[in-house]
Amino acid sequence: MSKLGIVSYGSYVPQYRINVEEIAKVWGEDPNEIKSQLQVNSKSVPGPDEDVTTMAVEAARNAMSRWKGNPKDIGALYVGSESRAYAVKPTATIVAAAIDAEGALQAADLEFACKAATAGMQMCFGLVKSKMISYGLSIGSDSSQGRPRDPLEYTAGAGSVAFLVGSENVVAELEGTYSVTTDTPDFWRREGAVYPSHGVRFTGEPAYFQHTVNASKGLMEELGTKPQDYKYVTFHQPNTKFPLRVARMLGFSKEQVEPSLVCRDIGNTYSASSLLGLSQLLNKAQLGDKIFMTSYGSGAGSDSFSFEVTDEIERVQAYQFNVDYYVNRKEIIDYGIYARFKGVLR
Amino acid sequence: MEPPKIWRERRERYLGIGNKCLDCNEKSFPRTDYCLKCSSKNIEEYKLSKTGKILQFTQVTQPAQEHIFYSPFIIGLIELDDGIQVTGQIVDYNYDDVKEGMKVRMTFRILSIDNEEGLIKYGYKFVPY
Repeated sequence: MSKLGIVSYGSYVPQYRINVEEIAKVWGEDPNEIKSQLQVNSKSVPGPDEDVTTMAVEAARNAMSRWKGNPKDIGALYVGSESRAYAVKPTATIVAAAIDAEGALQAADLEFACKAATAGMQMCFGLVKSKMISYGLSIGSDSSQGRPRDPLEYTAGAGSVAFLVGSENVVAELEGTYSVTTDTPDFWRREGAVYPSHGVRFTGEPAYFQHTVNASKGLMEELGTKPQDYKYVTFHQPNTKFPLRVARMLGFSKEQVEPSLVCRDIGNTYSASSLLGLSQLLNKAQLGDKIFMTSYGSGAGSDSFSFEVTDEIERVQAYQFNVDYYVNRKEIIDYGIYARFKGVLR
Repeated sequence: MEPPKIWRERRERYLGIGNKCLDCNEKSFPRTDYCLKCSSKNIEEYKLSKTGKILQFTQVTQPAQEHIFYSPFIIGLIELDDGIQVTGQIVDYNYDDVKEGMKVRMTFRILSIDNEEGLIKYGYKFVPY
């Protein structure tokens, strides 16, 4: 019997980093206080010739190289982002051309803050399960803007991730997925606005924590599982503190969540965040391991997933250009170069 | 930049698609309507190798207006693993650290942007690895 699940995955993080100390120096703030609050040391910054599209292509190509299949067999391609290069003109079409998947293909750009790509994965799972497509590719890619001097400036990073979903050569079988959605105005950006706005403390309890907890509990109740059944867990990583705290609230241990935390070095990668955590876990997982993931997108909603790793996992773990490769490849820049790369200086 | 030109050249710039002559086996890049060696029109698409090595390089400090945001940048002559030589920018590396013979792989980047409201031209550049 064929399985439904993850067939391949790929990631990308730009190489430039700016340290918390460097941003704090410009605004006269205490870097140690910020680092202890957020548990973030640096964030990733796209180079001057990088945007959401180029990062999405790199992640998609890494997923294709890891898979070694034919891109023409992909039946659906979705790109989730809240910082797209074009307001009107799909990113998904450019990615499709750049991985040679143009032609008979469903494609769209999706927006649901930091969870658009997990929403795309659910769409792909549905399409594969109903046999409307053989493979679906869901990508999360963001190069988010943090208003200068806003707390978000310390964490708004950049990165992308691509997950190929199918029913052949599955490396992690989907056991179930469950979502929670409410109208919660914790974070937004109006048409034409350069920087997003947020509800400061309101982004915590009624937003991130309530949705993440409710979706996670909902799925575990539905499946009849408990935190101890899982080898690993990952959550959306707007900073390092939030996923550690929500893991504790749900009854997961620090050891279960810690291996997935990439936010300390690269910051919040928005729609790529929880899926970069899942990629890290798949790189470490072994046959039979169960992995739990809950994304969070402001606005607001959460998607929970439960996976069990199959014997195909070793086939894809040797791939050179993995999350660790990109996290460890870094060049530290100062605030002046950062401002130039982000287009603040013109 | 005109939309038709961006559209027409996308497979060359995104995927490194050139020609292979089915009569004399000559491979060439960029694409042409006939074989550059034997003039045959019996040709098919050929996908360039995605990895290669740097033969020569220099730094551009006085670029054309459309590339001024990315200046200074490094441009190199790359010999791909299939023997075909192409030119392209070398990115994510400091000029002082680039060396002839360095291994590079194709990466997907912005080549230029047509003012605030125009199209974005994407294509390949090279990154040492």
